Amino acid sequence: MSTLKRWWSERVPISGDELRAMTNEPVPHHIKHWWFCLGGTPAYLFVVQIITGILLAIYYQPTPQGAYESVRYITEEARFGWYLRSVHKWAATFMVAAVILHQMRVFFTGAYRKPRELNWIIGMFLLICTLVVGFTGYSLVFEQLSYWGATVGGNITESVPLIGPWLKRLLLGGDAYNEHTLSRFFILHAAVLPVVMVLLLVIHISLIRLHGISDLRFKDDKAGKKFNFFPDHAMTELGIGLVLMIVLSALATIFPASLGAPADPLTTPEVIKPEWFFYVTFRWLKLFPGTAAVLSMGLIVFVMFLWPFIDGWIRKRKPASEFSVFVGILAVLAIIGLTIWEALVAH
Amino acid sequence: MSEHEQTSDPAGASGTPEPADETSRRNLLSTATTVAVGAGLAASYGTFFFYAGRYLYPASDTETAWLFVARTEDLDRAGSIEYRAPSGATIVVAAKGRGEYLALSSVCPHLGCQVHWEAQNERFFCPCHNGVFDADGQGTEGPPKGQSLLRYPLKVENGLLYIEVPVESLDVARLDKPGHDGCLRSRTDA
Repeated sequence: MSTLKRWWSERVPISGDELRAMTNEPVPHHIKHWWFCLGGTPAYLFVVQIITGILLAIYYQPTPQGAYESVRYITEEARFGWYLRSVHKWAATFMVAAVILHQMRVFFTGAYRKPRELNWIIGMFLLICTLVVGFTGYSLVFEQLSYWGATVGGNITESVPLIGPWLKRLLLGGDAYNEHTLSRFFILHAAVLPVVMVLLLVIHISLIRLHGISDLRFKDDKAGKKFNFFPDHAMTELGIGLVLMIVLSALATIFPASLGAPADPLTTPEVIKPEWFFYVTFRWLKLFPGTAAVLSMGLIVFVMFLWPFIDGWIRKRKPASEFSVFVGILAVLAIIGLTIWEALVAH
Repeated sequence: MSEHEQTSDPAGASGTPEPADETSRRNLLSTATTVAVGAGLAASYGTFFFYAGRYLYPASDTETAWLFVARTEDLDRAGSIEYRAPSGATIVVAAKGRGEYLALSSVCPHLGCQVHWEAQNERFFCPCHNGVFDADGQGTEGPPKGQSLLRYPLKVENGLLYIEVPVESLDVARLDKPGHDGCLRSRTDA
């Protein structure tokens, strides 16, 4: 045993104590509250998505001729295909929800403020990547919603001033949805965006480690009280992972992923809705004409990116300002309101 | 000492410092090498990314062709017909009187969904974002208000009406798409 240990330590020259010292970050006591683990939740779900995604890609065919049939095969014929596809779909839903909740938590606790502005921007890129992965994901099924969602998405891209038409052609591989569009969406969904997200996550987590977790004190917390990341916090995250896996499996069994009518480029369904996380955008597009809707959405996203600096500028002039809290409440109410509105009406 | 002996003497072997022109020549060579390597890298990687960009960006625009639609006298009698292009696109072709004709695309100019004709309301309706168009294809309600349905170019030759349309289609499996033959029907039958 000691020979094996010596052989290993000669080739990997780091001791267990040194490794522990490198990885074991003291974590502020407020992290005991579960909603502060919402950052780890999407990271855990991302791993679930990668594993289930690789398994689904074994049978999936990214062509207009084969896509729908391959998804039907996965759902109806491949052993436990229905389970893997349903877990993939539910984990995507949970991942979007967890990223949004994590961002809300960071916003309302002011954890984006100096010196963590850049990490907020990385987080914004991760939010956008998550939404685009979700969008390209349901485009791959090649049911009616997939086709028309991709068509609408391509045309939204075209509405971007100056580079819009160029960007649309690059995204769709032509002037409109064509033979090459689905494979582009597949590569974006299964290769490009996951790699970008892994790189962003590495930077995101590295910056958290370098800055340390922002300290926040609740009434029942003692000043400066900390606990170890390992094993204490790691066990909490594992516990959340276990609960998530049980919930995902239960939902996949009770509400398995269904398959709508196959894509028909000649008929837009009478009632068409995107996934719930695009209800806000969908309603917004109904409220305003094309370019105005796209530009206003772009402006909102731009302000979100720069919010730490805008907030910093305001707080420099009025240190006790609660402006960001009011903006946050207004944004949350708008998101909830538009989502419910779109969910309740047919058109 | 001959010239040959002078140049074959190794630099610094005698312990004397290098002449200034030797140093500046070395600096020049070093700078030139750096610039050459930098330019070579920029050119090779630039070429690679240019080719990759050209590979990713679609090569050509949509192909179109002039195709026969109907005899003008038949269209004048029917009022309007639905024409199905080889790409699968549904096009409403209508006689406006006095030898004028109109071919309207069924693609909503807002975000590309398919509009359909509602005979009871005499309007085209887009289910995606509630766009409404009148019989002439002018947007009257919803986000595409003020925009109009795309008009395809038409021409009449010897009493025959021709239309310029895209000829490529998306080959989707499992769908029984009607072929190009027999693709005309009166709009009132829709």
